[in-house]
Amino acid sequence: MSTVYAIRAEWTKLRTVVSTPWLLFTAVAVTAGISAMVTNAASNRTCPVPSPCLDDLPKLSLTGAQYGQALVVVLAVLVMSEEYGTRSIGVSLMAVPRRWRLYLSKAAVLTGVVVVIGSLGVLGSLLFARQVLPGTAFSAANGYQGLSLRDEPTLRAVYGTVLYLALVALLSYGVAAMLRDTAGSVATMLILLYVAPILTAVVTDPRWLTRIERVSPMIAGLKIQATTALDSPTIGPWQGLGVLALWAAGALLAGLLSLQLRDA
Amino acid sequence: MTESPPRSGVTIEVRGLRKRYRSTVAVDDLSFTVEPGMVTGFVGPNGAGKSTTMRIILGLDAADEGSALVGGRPYRVLDRPLRTVGALLDAAAVHPGRSARNHLLWLAQSNAIPRRRVDEVLDLAGLATVAKRNVGGFSLGMRQRLGIAAALLGDPAVVIFDEPINGLDIEGIQWIRSLLRSLAGEGRAVLVSSHLMSELEDTADHLLVIGRGRLLADTSVRELVTTASGDRVAVRTGMRTEAMTTLANAGALATITDGETVTVSGLPVEHVIELLTRDGVAFTGVSAHRASLEEAYMELTRDAVEFGAAAGREG
Amino acid sequence: MNGPVTATTHRTTRTAGPLPAAGRPGFGWLLLSEWTKLRSVSRWTVALLTAPVLIILVGLLSAASSQAGNPDSTVSGPDGTWVQDRFHFVHRPLTGDGSVTTRVASTRLELSVPQQDGGDGRTQDVERTVWSKAGLMVKDGLRPGSRYAAVMVTPGHGVRLQSNFTTDIAGPAVGAPTWLRLTRAGSTISAFQSSDGVSWTPAGTVTVPDLPQTVEVGPFVASPAGILMGERQFGTVQFERYPTTTRAVFERPTLEPARATGAASGEPQDGWRDDEVNDEAGQSGPPLPAGARPDKTPQAGPPAAEWAGDRLTLVGVGDIAPRTKSEDVIKLGLTGAYAGLMALVAVAVLFVTTEYRRGMLRTTFTASPRRGRVLVAKAMVVGAVTFVIGLVAGVAALLITLPITRDNGFLPPVYPDWSLIDPTVLRAIVGTAGVLAAIAVFSLALGTVLRRAAGAVAIVIVLIILPQLLAGALPTAAGQWLMRLTPPAGFSVQQTVPHYEQVPRICIPENGCVYDQPWAGFAVVCGYALVTMAVALWLLRRRDA
Repeated sequence: MSTVYAIRAEWTKLRTVVSTPWLLFTAVAVTAGISAMVTNAASNRTCPVPSPCLDDLPKLSLTGAQYGQALVVVLAVLVMSEEYGTRSIGVSLMAVPRRWRLYLSKAAVLTGVVVVIGSLGVLGSLLFARQVLPGTAFSAANGYQGLSLRDEPTLRAVYGTVLYLALVALLSYGVAAMLRDTAGSVATMLILLYVAPILTAVVTDPRWLTRIERVSPMIAGLKIQATTALDSPTIGPWQGLGVLALWAAGALLAGLLSLQLRDA
Repeated sequence: MTESPPRSGVTIEVRGLRKRYRSTVAVDDLSFTVEPGMVTGFVGPNGAGKSTTMRIILGLDAADEGSALVGGRPYRVLDRPLRTVGALLDAAAVHPGRSARNHLLWLAQSNAIPRRRVDEVLDLAGLATVAKRNVGGFSLGMRQRLGIAAALLGDPAVVIFDEPINGLDIEGIQWIRSLLRSLAGEGRAVLVSSHLMSELEDTADHLLVIGRGRLLADTSVRELVTTASGDRVAVRTGMRTEAMTTLANAGALATITDGETVTVSGLPVEHVIELLTRDGVAFTGVSAHRASLEEAYMELTRDAVEFGAAAGREG
Repeated sequence: MNGPVTATTHRTTRTAGPLPAAGRPGFGWLLLSEWTKLRSVSRWTVALLTAPVLIILVGLLSAASSQAGNPDSTVSGPDGTWVQDRFHFVHRPLTGDGSVTTRVASTRLELSVPQQDGGDGRTQDVERTVWSKAGLMVKDGLRPGSRYAAVMVTPGHGVRLQSNFTTDIAGPAVGAPTWLRLTRAGSTISAFQSSDGVSWTPAGTVTVPDLPQTVEVGPFVASPAGILMGERQFGTVQFERYPTTTRAVFERPTLEPARATGAASGEPQDGWRDDEVNDEAGQSGPPLPAGARPDKTPQAGPPAAEWAGDRLTLVGVGDIAPRTKSEDVIKLGLTGAYAGLMALVAVAVLFVTTEYRRGMLRTTFTASPRRGRVLVAKAMVVGAVTFVIGLVAGVAALLITLPITRDNGFLPPVYPDWSLIDPTVLRAIVGTAGVLAAIAVFSLALGTVLRRAAGAVAIVIVLIILPQLLAGALPTAAGQWLMRLTPPAGFSVQQTVPHYEQVPRICIPENGCVYDQPWAGFAVVCGYALVTMAVALWLLRRRDA
C-alpha cells in the first residue's frame, strides 16, 4: 500500500512543476513533427517502380523517435537530478525513507508518462504517414501496401518504439541517480546515445561496424523498428531492444545502489 | 502495520553514534535520549555535528557506528514516517517551481495523509494566502514557515527542527517559540538545534551541548548554569598583599589580575567582604559576577570551536 | 568572545600587504576570478578532463576500426598526388623548343547506359558536364604519372590548359571544331586557340619544371566516367556511374620544327606512334589492333587510331586528373571532437547556470556590478580553456591515430603521408580547437539566456548531433543546407582531402561535403556564439539577477 501512496506522491510531484507539461508537449511534437518532415521528403524517384526497393516505410515514418528521445532523456534525468539540484531529496527521503520504494515509485511514474507521450508521438507519426504516403509514389497502384497496425511487423515497430523510449527513459533515470547532476547526466546520456551513429558514419571496417551496432543502445535498440531485412546479420529487432534493456537494467541497478549506499 | 499514536512517550534514542567524512570526524561516540513532553535544545558551535546527527536520526546519512532510533525503530523502516516524525532540516530544499500547496500535497500523499490536513498546516504556519504561489518567490522566513508546516503535516509525536529561527523576523521568532512550547505541552518530543544558546535560553527545558562531534553536556538549563564556572568576586584595593593573605588563609583561590584588582573564586561575595573587614584590609570596591547561560556555554565549548571566528556558517 | 578567538578576528581584518588603490579593478582581475571559479569545482575539472579522454578514445576507436580499401592503382603525379593517368595518345618526340598544332574537328561522347535506365534525360546531364578531354599534350615520356601539359576542348568547360594533374587554367569558352596549339620554350608551355588557324588567342601559360630536353607531343583523348547522384532514398544515396568513350577527329596534326623521319613515305601518319597510357595497367602499350570492335566495357581499352589522309580519329577512355578518396585520415583522427565537445558543453553551461541556481550570481554581481564584463570574462575563460583542451587533445589524438591509420593501409600515394607540422594538419587541429571554443562560448551564452542547465545542454547537443543524423533522412540539398547552417558546419575545418574543380566528386553532406572552404563553417559557429552572446548580454542587463 505504501508504494501506491509513494507513486501517487511522485505523480503529483511531476505534474506540479511548470517545466513538465512543456517537456511532454515538445517531446510529442518533435517526435511526430520530424517523422512527418522525413515522411514528406521521402521519394522513390530513382527507385524503378514497381520494384523491391529498400523501403522500410514503417521505420521511415517513425524517424522522429530518434529526436524525440532527446527530450525523453531530459525529462527522465530531471525526475531524479532535480531532487538533488534543489536538495529536496532530503525531504523526499524523510517522507519515504525506504529508498528502493522512492526509487521504484519515481521509475514507475516516469515509465507511465513516457509510455503515454511515446504512444502519442508514435501514433501521430503513423497517422501522418498513412495520410501522406498513399498520395505519393508509395501508392497502392505502385505496389505499396498502406501502413496498418494489422500488419505484424508494423505493429511491432510501433509498440517497440514506445518500449524503446521507455527504456531510454529508465536508462537516463538510472544514470541521473548515479551522477546526481542534471547537466552531467543529460550530457552523458546524449553522448551514450548519439556517439555511435557518428562513429558508424566514419568507421569503414565492417567487423567494427557490426560491433558498434550491436552494443550501441540507440542503434541496437532502434532495430525494433525494422520491418524489412529482418534477417539482418547484425542483430534482430528483439535482440536489439534486449541490448537496450540490458543497458537500462544495469543503469537502474547502479542508480539504486548509489541511492541505497550513499548518503543523501 | 499500525503506527504508534502521537503524544505517547515516543523518544529519540541515540547510542554510540559515530560518523566520519573522509578525514574529519563529524560525530564521535554520541549518546543521548530526547524525552517526550519537553523541548530539548541541541546546541553547539558551527560544524559541531548537530546537522549530521539529525540527518542520521532521519536516515539521510548512514552512521559508521552506533544507532539512532525513533520510538525504538530506525527511521528507514518506518512506513509512514511523517506520522511519527516531523522534521525541518533545510528550508531552502524545495523545488522553486512548485507552489507551497502542491509541495505539501505530494508530501501528504506519500504518507496517506488526507488532503484537508494540507490546508490546516498552511493556516497554522500562516501561509494560507500565499499557498498557490511558487516557492521560488518565497523569502527565507516564508520558506522556514513552509518547512515547519511540512513537519507538522503528519501530526507527529516527534518533532526535529534544525536552526528553525534562522531568517525569521521578531514576530516569527515569537511564533516559533510558542509553537515549540505548545508542541512539548501536547506531550511530543521536540528536538531543536541552534548554534546560539540565547535562542534556546527561554524555550528549552533540557540541553544537549555538543562540540567537535562529542557530547559536552546533557543537562537541564538550571544545572548547566550552576555547574559551569563558579561565581567570582573582584576586589579593588590598594593593599593587594594583605588581601591575598587574608583570602588565602580563608581557603579561597585569589589572583592579582591587574594593578588594583584581586579576583577571588570559591567564596560568596558576602563572605569576602566580611573577611576583608575583619582583617582591616581597605578596599574601594567589590563586584560579584554571576555566570549566564551564554557564558556557561562558552566555557563548555571553548575548546570545541571548530573554525574560530574567521570561518563562515556551517554547511 | 574569548581571547584567542578575538585575536583571530583581528588578524583577519588586516592584510599582509596594502590593498591596491581603490577604483575599478582591471579586467584582468575579473578574468582571474572567473578562472578561479572554473578550476575550483572538482566536478568541472573532472568533466573538463573527460573531454580530451573522449576525443582521444573515440579517435582511437575510429582509426582502429577503419581499413583502407585496395586502390585501383597507386600511381602518383610529380608532386606525389595520387592520380589517374589514362588516355589515348598519338605522339612523336620533340627535342628542344617547338610547337604542335592541330584542328579538333569534332568530338563525340558515347555513354554506356545501364540497362533499365530508360532515357529519363538524366544522361544529358552527363553529356553536358563530363570532363572528357580531346587536345594536344606535351609529356615526359609515356610512364603513367609523368610530367605533362595539355590543352584540350571539353564538353561543358571550354578550352582548358592543364598540367601535372592539379593545375587547371580556363581558356576561351569554345568547343570543337577549333584549332589548338601548344608551344614549348624550356619549361614554359603556352596554349593557344584559334577558330581559323590564322589568328590565335592565348589560352594560358604554365611552367612544368624539370621537363627533359626530349618530350613526347601529339593529340590525345581521355574520357572519364560520368557520375550522377540519385535522389536520397531511405537514407542511402544512389550513384550512377556512366562509363564513357570519346571519339575525336583531329585534322592536320603538325609538329614544328618538322623533323625528317627515316622512312619518309610522305604519308601524314609517318612518325606518329599510337599508344594508350594506362596507370591501372601500370604501363603504356599499343591499343587494340586496328579494326577490332570496341568493347562494350571501355575499361578493356580503345581501338587503335585511324588515319584517313591527314584526319586522325582517336577513341579514348580514362582520365588525366588527381584521384581522391573520401576517407580523410585527419578528420577520422579528430572524430572524437564530437564526443569531447559534449562534455565541454556541459561544463560551459553549468559555469553560468550554477550561479543562477545557487543565487551565487548575486554575490558575483555584488562583487563586480558591471554584468556584461562578468559574462565576457566568463566567455573568455571558457573559450580559452576549451581551446587549449582542444589543441592538446587534437595533437594527442593525431599522434596516436596517424600510425594506426598508416598500419591499416592508409598509405601514400592514395592517402597523403601527413605529419603534424603540415600546415593543412595544423589548420585542422587549430580549427577543431577553435570550433570547440566557439561552441563552448555559444553554450555559455545559451545557458545565460535560458538559465536552465538541462535545457541548454540538450539544445546545444541536439544542434550538434541531429543535423548529422537528420541530413541522412532529408533530400540531399536540404541536408546540405541543414549542415551548413548548424554549428557542426564548423567541423568542415577538419577536412584535408582537397577538392578539384576539374574532378567531379560525390557530395554527401553527412559525410563531410558541407563547405569547400575549410574556414567557412567556422564562421558559422562563431556567428552562433556571437549572436547568442549578444542576446545574453542584452538580457543580462534587463533582467534582475
